[in-house]
Amino acid sequence: MLMEITGPPKAPPVTAERPSPLRRVLRGAPPYLYLAPGLALLVIWTYRPLTQTAELSFHSWNLLPTTPMVPVGFANYERLLDLPDLGQATLRTLVVILGLLPFSVLIPVVVGLLSRQVRGRGKAVYQAMVFAPMLVAPVASAAVWRWLLDPGGGAVNRVLGIDLNWLYETGSAQFSIIVITGWHILGFAVLVVSAGLAGISGDYGDAASLDGASRWQITRWITLPLLSPTLVFLTLMTVLLSAQWTFPLIDTLTQGGPADSTTNVYYLLWDYSFHSYDAGLGAAAGMLLFAGFGIIAAGLVWLAERLSFHDN
Amino acid sequence: MSRIHIEAASKRFDKVTAVDQVTLDIEHGEFLVLLGPSGCGKSTLLRAIAGLTPLTEGRITLGDKDITHTPPRDRDLAMVFQSYALYPHLSVARNIGFPLRARRRPKAEIREKVEQVARTLDLSALLDRRPRELSGGQRQRVALGRALVRDPGAFLMDEPLSNLDAKLRTATRAELSELHRRLGSTFVYVTHDQVEAMTMATRIALLNGGKLEQVGSPTEVYDRPASAFVAGFLGSPAMNLLDARVVSREGRLHAVAEDVDVALDITGELSDQDSQDVVLGIRPEHLRIGGAHPGLRGVVRLVENLGSEELAHVVVGDARVCLRGSRPLDLATGDAVTLSAAPQHIHLFHRESGKRLVWRDESPTANRAAVELDYSAP
Repeated sequence: MLMEITGPPKAPPVTAERPSPLRRVLRGAPPYLYLAPGLALLVIWTYRPLTQTAELSFHSWNLLPTTPMVPVGFANYERLLDLPDLGQATLRTLVVILGLLPFSVLIPVVVGLLSRQVRGRGKAVYQAMVFAPMLVAPVASAAVWRWLLDPGGGAVNRVLGIDLNWLYETGSAQFSIIVITGWHILGFAVLVVSAGLAGISGDYGDAASLDGASRWQITRWITLPLLSPTLVFLTLMTVLLSAQWTFPLIDTLTQGGPADSTTNVYYLLWDYSFHSYDAGLGAAAGMLLFAGFGIIAAGLVWLAERLSFHDN
Repeated sequence: MSRIHIEAASKRFDKVTAVDQVTLDIEHGEFLVLLGPSGCGKSTLLRAIAGLTPLTEGRITLGDKDITHTPPRDRDLAMVFQSYALYPHLSVARNIGFPLRARRRPKAEIREKVEQVARTLDLSALLDRRPRELSGGQRQRVALGRALVRDPGAFLMDEPLSNLDAKLRTATRAELSELHRRLGSTFVYVTHDQVEAMTMATRIALLNGGKLEQVGSPTEVYDRPASAFVAGFLGSPAMNLLDARVVSREGRLHAVAEDVDVALDITGELSDQDSQDVVLGIRPEHLRIGGAHPGLRGVVRLVENLGSEELAHVVVGDARVCLRGSRPLDLATGDAVTLSAAPQHIHLFHRESGKRLVWRDESPTANRAAVELDYSAP
């Protein structure tokens, strides 16, 4: 008769001895210990001020330690929404963001694509030169630009052969702030785009060129779509940080003027708190900005996730 | 006609010569495998054919057209990359259709061609997927589909099977051979895997250090290796190579070394000063245990069971040889053993140049014995 062979012998289930609870805690602790310094800093410098701001936004206070904070409920928010300032400042912030996008996305992409041809030591020198404006302190560059834009004998007016008071006319002041900020961030954005381009495997371009695509087709159909996560990142940075990037220039060059034409939301809340000493109103504006930018950031992050292609 | 002719092609990167004066004729319909170890220049040569790496010197013609300076897109070649280089943001259908889209063919034609190719490669169900949702084998087929969708002059393939597991690789090898037979077009295929080369190639070009070592059919390259390098590269395990000296004894040549005295199938005379240092080569499967005139004596160091066959590692003098035979070999570690090989299975190589040595019979009056062992390739 035919008989099945027996397989390897089966042992009865065995339970290994568990280490003591103390040992288990000690063994599990290191990851949390590594996290602790970062978490502590985050709590001290971000979350604590945030909760304090939230609390302050429901009070009236003039920043004097001797004056008590008076609870006012939603009065600060109501005032904020009734005043036309916030709406106008938001609109101007939008103009700044749109004005900076060419400097943070469009020009860097063109420069990044063209400068791919630069190789070796030339590349490092080139990138250092493009990046240099980022290293100039905004206040220092503001002084230089004020001198360049001087209506009397400034270099800009002489080169253009016009007689414009750049920083003291409503349209040109905003334009000047945007261009100077753009000049500051351009190098950084080019560097980010170059890094993004370097991260795209050369095989795609090679394959596409053998598939018969022209250089323009490769750029449009392969390179730019693969670069889109980087572009979304730069857009996100511009949307969230434009108002902050322009702040030092506004403060040194125009102080929000002329006629509030360069007052964006960040400058406005700073103005409320530290010029008008209405800390509650400033805090309320801060909270609204936090919520608004939070929603926009979440949307863009979601978009970035959707656009990222995990190859290999 | 897609005959590819490579003339004296060289590629230098700064001081490193990746491809050194390679001349190679690839006939229409051939399956030519560029074989060699890592860094031998085979991929560089393929990329030069594709136009992705410009040559430092030399000329490449496709058909009658000099394409040395033609950009890749105008070369009428299709390539499958080792990484497959599937466009990660495009669906399978758009990936396969890409070469037609780049050529601005009408949409309906692209769709029809893509569906046709997908059917032959069994990809129809996957057309809407993105590359990241595919398995390794499926990606490989999509890469192949992108090459097949137009009718290129030749197919270039850069180690397309190296990312597949062993079982899938065996299956895909057979599929590629079948595809080549059906299409009848020219394939240039780069690999470091000798099994792929032996099974698929109609001709193998073996490269070493950027230089062409031998070009020939798999049989020629395996049975008559042109150099000790080729002999040592092909075969698993590779040919046993032993330092020996050729001397003549009673009108016959013998290769001798410590514990080695192999009679060669050559009648001739060599005076003592004409005897020559050579490398003696015998394939593991050509060694027999015992025999009437055993040429090698040694001690078994290790016996490996491969399932169908056994490998015995034997120390002969200060060299190690490998013997391969069907199971059981009836050998155990420590056994003293004598080995023999038929004279027609014995290869000789020049000690310095490594080139194959052949006996050229001359009239006995002309006493030029040492030179008679010249190393012109057969």
